[in-house]
Amino acid sequence: MGLLQGASELFPVSSLGHAVLVPSLLHWSFKQSDPTFLPFLVLLHLGTASALLILYRAQWVVIIRGFFAAALRGKIENDAERLAMLLLVGTIPAAILGVFLESHIKTLFASPYEAAGFLVANGVLMLGFEWVRHRAERRAAVAAGSRAEQEAHFAQAERISFRAAAIVGACQALAFLPGISRSGVTIGGGLVAGLRHEEAARFSFLLATPVILGAGIIEVPQLFSNGVPVGEYLAGAVLAGIAAYGSARFLLRYFRSGRLDPYGWYCIAAGALSLALLTLKA
Amino acid sequence: MVAAILYAVGILQLFASTSSGPHYKHAILFGVLAVACFIAFNFARPKTV
Repeated sequence: MGLLQGASELFPVSSLGHAVLVPSLLHWSFKQSDPTFLPFLVLLHLGTASALLILYRAQWVVIIRGFFAAALRGKIENDAERLAMLLLVGTIPAAILGVFLESHIKTLFASPYEAAGFLVANGVLMLGFEWVRHRAERRAAVAAGSRAEQEAHFAQAERISFRAAAIVGACQALAFLPGISRSGVTIGGGLVAGLRHEEAARFSFLLATPVILGAGIIEVPQLFSNGVPVGEYLAGAVLAGIAAYGSARFLLRYFRSGRLDPYGWYCIAAGALSLALLTLKA
Repeated sequence: MVAAILYAVGILQLFASTSSGPHYKHAILFGVLAVACFIAFNFARPKTV
């Protein structure tokens, strides 16, 4: 589960959807209704967040310094300070929606059937984001150039508007639906806001870190209070972190020239196949 | 900040999943929102220089 969650968390294919679907399809002894299932997933997410912190450790030092400098000064003077404030603006809507809607959404949509259905919807969303990006490339008349030329036409994460950062951040709440990918909707949102693919992925990964860490710090004490095998769960979290680190390195390289489309098609195929297998099993 | 304290001590139950006890998630959220408001106020105030 740790490897599965860590590998699928940063890929735009919904880790939660896979965490609900794969145990059901492979008859693993995880009960999604068990009160420790959610805190266990959050612990795996903490492994992922730790991997992101390690990957972006130098940037986080600059961002945190920039945050305090801009907050105290009341003025943004450089890119690091602007990125810090963009991350704050992007995190607040996700935190508000998470606190007020999380439990309602998760009790409504916890079954593997719904996860499979939302996985198909996630695939359609990814293809939709890329369709919007293709239109933007055509409008900017860069479609005929090489991928590097096309990407150079679009912006860095620091240049996104505050309104776009808030919308991209709010999109993270969609990931409470099992099957909808947090990284997918935030990378897609970044693309629609005019970022390069690689920059959209970087912004998505930076935006994920405080949300995942915050959720983890709140939920993990609940895990330890329920008498679960902590050693095994921690081993899962470490494996999730290792897988996430590898995934993030791969994705950042992939998005220099790659697009979301393959992941969109994968989600549609995996969701449809899961629906078929679950229906046959029933 | 007042809302954060009220949620933390279990007096405020608005929009919470249970109707009794402290709600630490809500308390932390309102604490963060209070800090964000201070930052926004600092950005909005007229600067002398």
